[in-house]
Amino acid sequence: MNPVLVAVLRALAALGLMLANGVVLIYMLRKVLGHMHVRLGPNRVGPFGLLQTTMDVIKLLTKEDVMASSVDKWLFRLAPLMVFVPAFMAYLALALSPTWRFSNLDGGLLYLFAVLSLVPIGIVIAGWASNSKWSLIGGMRAAGQQIAYEVPLLLSVLGIVLMSGTLNMTDIVRSQQGLWLGFLPRWYIFPQFPAFLLFMVAGLAELNQTPFDMSEAESELISGFANEYSGMKFGFMFLAEFSNSFIIAALATTLFFGGWLIPGLERNALALQLGPIVFMIKTYIGIFVLMWIRGTLPRVRVDQLLALGWKRLIPMSLAWVMLTGVIIKLPSLFGGVG
Amino acid sequence: MWGTGILKGMWVTIKNMMRGPITVQYPEQKLVLPERSRWAVAPKFDEEGNSKCTACLNCVRACPDHILEMRTHADENKRKHIDEFTYEIGACMFCGLCVEACPFDALCMSKDYELATDSTDCLTVTLLKDRPTPEPRRAKAAEVDHKSHEPQREGAEESTKSAAKPEQPASAAPVVEPPSIAPETEAPAANENEPMVAKEGDDVA
Amino acid sequence: MANRRPAAKKQPAGKSAQPKQAAQSKQSMQPKPAAANPHLLGEILPEGAYEVEVLPKGLHRVPRGVDELATEHLIMNMGPQHPSTHGVLHLLLEIDGEEVITGEANIGYLHRGIEKLAEHRRYNQVGTLLDRSDYLSGLHSELAFSMAVEQLAEIEVPRKANWIRSLVSELNRIASHLVWMGTFGMDAGSMPGFLYALREREALLDILETITGARMMFNYVRPGGVLMDLPPEVEPMIRAFLADFPTKLEEYDTLIGKNEIMQARIKGVGVIHRSTALAFGLTGANLRATGFGWDVRKERPYAAYPELDFDIPVGETADCWARYLVRMEEMRVSTKLVGQLLDGMPEGDHSAKVAKVLRPPAGEAYAAVESPRGEMGIHLASDGSDKPYRMRVRGPAYYALSIIDEILPGNLIADAVMTAGSLDLVLGEIDR
Repeated sequence: MNPVLVAVLRALAALGLMLANGVVLIYMLRKVLGHMHVRLGPNRVGPFGLLQTTMDVIKLLTKEDVMASSVDKWLFRLAPLMVFVPAFMAYLALALSPTWRFSNLDGGLLYLFAVLSLVPIGIVIAGWASNSKWSLIGGMRAAGQQIAYEVPLLLSVLGIVLMSGTLNMTDIVRSQQGLWLGFLPRWYIFPQFPAFLLFMVAGLAELNQTPFDMSEAESELISGFANEYSGMKFGFMFLAEFSNSFIIAALATTLFFGGWLIPGLERNALALQLGPIVFMIKTYIGIFVLMWIRGTLPRVRVDQLLALGWKRLIPMSLAWVMLTGVIIKLPSLFGGVG
Repeated sequence: MWGTGILKGMWVTIKNMMRGPITVQYPEQKLVLPERSRWAVAPKFDEEGNSKCTACLNCVRACPDHILEMRTHADENKRKHIDEFTYEIGACMFCGLCVEACPFDALCMSKDYELATDSTDCLTVTLLKDRPTPEPRRAKAAEVDHKSHEPQREGAEESTKSAAKPEQPASAAPVVEPPSIAPETEAPAANENEPMVAKEGDDVA
Repeated sequence: MANRRPAAKKQPAGKSAQPKQAAQSKQSMQPKPAAANPHLLGEILPEGAYEVEVLPKGLHRVPRGVDELATEHLIMNMGPQHPSTHGVLHLLLEIDGEEVITGEANIGYLHRGIEKLAEHRRYNQVGTLLDRSDYLSGLHSELAFSMAVEQLAEIEVPRKANWIRSLVSELNRIASHLVWMGTFGMDAGSMPGFLYALREREALLDILETITGARMMFNYVRPGGVLMDLPPEVEPMIRAFLADFPTKLEEYDTLIGKNEIMQARIKGVGVIHRSTALAFGLTGANLRATGFGWDVRKERPYAAYPELDFDIPVGETADCWARYLVRMEEMRVSTKLVGQLLDGMPEGDHSAKVAKVLRPPAGEAYAAVESPRGEMGIHLASDGSDKPYRMRVRGPAYYALSIIDEILPGNLIADAVMTAGSLDLVLGEIDR
């Protein structure tokens, strides 16, 4: 088939996954938070409230798109795209199974982080273009926070790159095949547990989620950088935020939890066919944990947040990378034995 | 260790997630209101269906916001005849001072709280219309009670509920106990000590 | 400094910190001399002057600017519509990046003229107004007013009425503190605390509705006693609540207080020194958190409190954390008090025999109660008619708000939000 057509179809499939995920995640968030708050989430629209997000999307599409006269018009229109498109581009690097993947980039991991780092630019543009002091503060906080936390996010996974020797997402998962001692899967969560903690903290900060949601702190800035947005422009940014959380959870699954692998059944053809389902289950458990954290913890203050990022996480992740490198090299130092 | 507080807090949240919801599905389920709940003011009627109101205007004077209004005229026996007794339910704050002030036990606070309407005409309600007044007879202290009753407003069907509002007969909705917030405890042994028996006949200042 | 509003610097009140002396009031309200009062750890400052103590070790102010870089200050309006200003409070902030340079509170958005309206209401109708001033603790305001009227008219309140008054006051105190706890957690971003707090409050409001007939605008405490006696079905409800609440409170303390993120946010933030607090007339938990153990229930006991056995919590570090701890402990103390009141409830009348239309003799009276926010006082002047001549409400949150100008500078915006939340402001009481 025409390779361009194949690429376009792949991109459309990624878009479909992104939108479907958004719909499911928004509903899941409302239900999970609802039950944590000892109430029910939406339960009127459709059976068990399943049609709630659909109706919300229709509502956002039909809402009046208010644009104040003093905003910077082109930047105002550009900002939601700058937030949405990088998230979409990041989907293209995910691999749900050896056959269900949107691309086979050799530098998949690097590409994903590079693309995710474009999101704060969009947020800063949104904050600036809104021409409102509260949005500006939200945008500036995002600039400080998200750009700062990209470094520990990348550094924390360097240990895995060292251990697996590749940046290709599919190969990283493949290197997690097998069992130790007969029962423990070779997932990187076990040898790289501190890296996992660092990755979670940095990932939460990248996602702008509580406890690191300073840039849209509801009780201070009302809606932060998205104050002035309404209608589908707001819908884009809202959706991009949920898509990002899927990306981070999918990354965690790929890097730490063995992707689509079921321990002990890696060569099984049926298990490989079920790979995408296993992947999605693992990812959604991760997303549930993210929502659980979101529903419990208070917000970290801005200066404490930045201090945490620059003064704690970066040295810790650097130290861990060094340690991983040393431990990997030790056997060869002793001539391959021990 | 730093972080134990966070983990314990997350344990609290997940424990509460397993608990059921504390909300009820209104309007299919409605909560039981306590006996003394004060909602819309309603006139009380005796066994034959006559109102006990003697148009003494005590309630009209007692209302802090002056929302009760009584219009009377003297009939041939020189007794007051109530033309119209209106009540601005849109301005009422349900304080209960009118009920306290009535010496004839002719008013009560009903439990009708579903008072939302969509037209301002329905915000003024006629409590009594075109009624003769009985012989003034002070309610015996023992007969005064503070329980609230079902609303029986004069001409309730025409004047209060506009045509657009669907009729929700009170019996259709099952009345539920609120979901238990506190664990069920045994009722204390009856009559062990009764420090709080409501004394009947206590007249309020 | 550019853009500085020419607001007059408030003269800290040494004189007006003391309550207005009623010439003919029955109770002597003169404060005890400094030597005799064991709670006074240090002298009250002479009028007209105050000085801020040196900051304790470990607390610091955020440094200002780098290399004297010329930057502009933003003037921001926080409020009146804002998810976290606890009502329609307007805070005018001048900020430099994230740091607040000056903050000014602008009130009046909830002013309804309660004190003026009270001049046109009879004495039994004023309770309906006071319910709405401090809407979270309406029974305390009604109680203060009733006590003032009883002073003027020399009404003797029966013992059981006093015990019922204390009982509903303590229940209302727990309810008000629960709202405070929920909104405080929500200011920091933890939403479940709010929902859980309101869930417990539902149990309390059910109890209060069973006793008084209404969930929030009670209109229950009247001059002479209370309106109705306690119904028999309320005792098992209160016992069930008392059995369940302490464990739940520990749970919520774990969720909000033991959380390290929360502690990092409120420790060392919003420090109010004792001298500043006294100079501004702060009372209640805000003052007790600075180490000054003043509680109207102990110093000027009223209702059933002389006969009850309880301790008042006093804080140490005078920051938001201390205020948090003091209020959580107050909830525990109130729970014990409710148990004591229920166990020892006497027999008797629930009200003295009072005329239907009260006409207290001419004079002035001041009565104060310990409301959840501090010392709520009513200064009543009567001219012998059936309506008050003048009713002045001493709302404790008003004085707590006046300290915002002092303590906000130097903090970040996030700290400003937490500080305002920790002071337990209720705009209904501030604006009346």
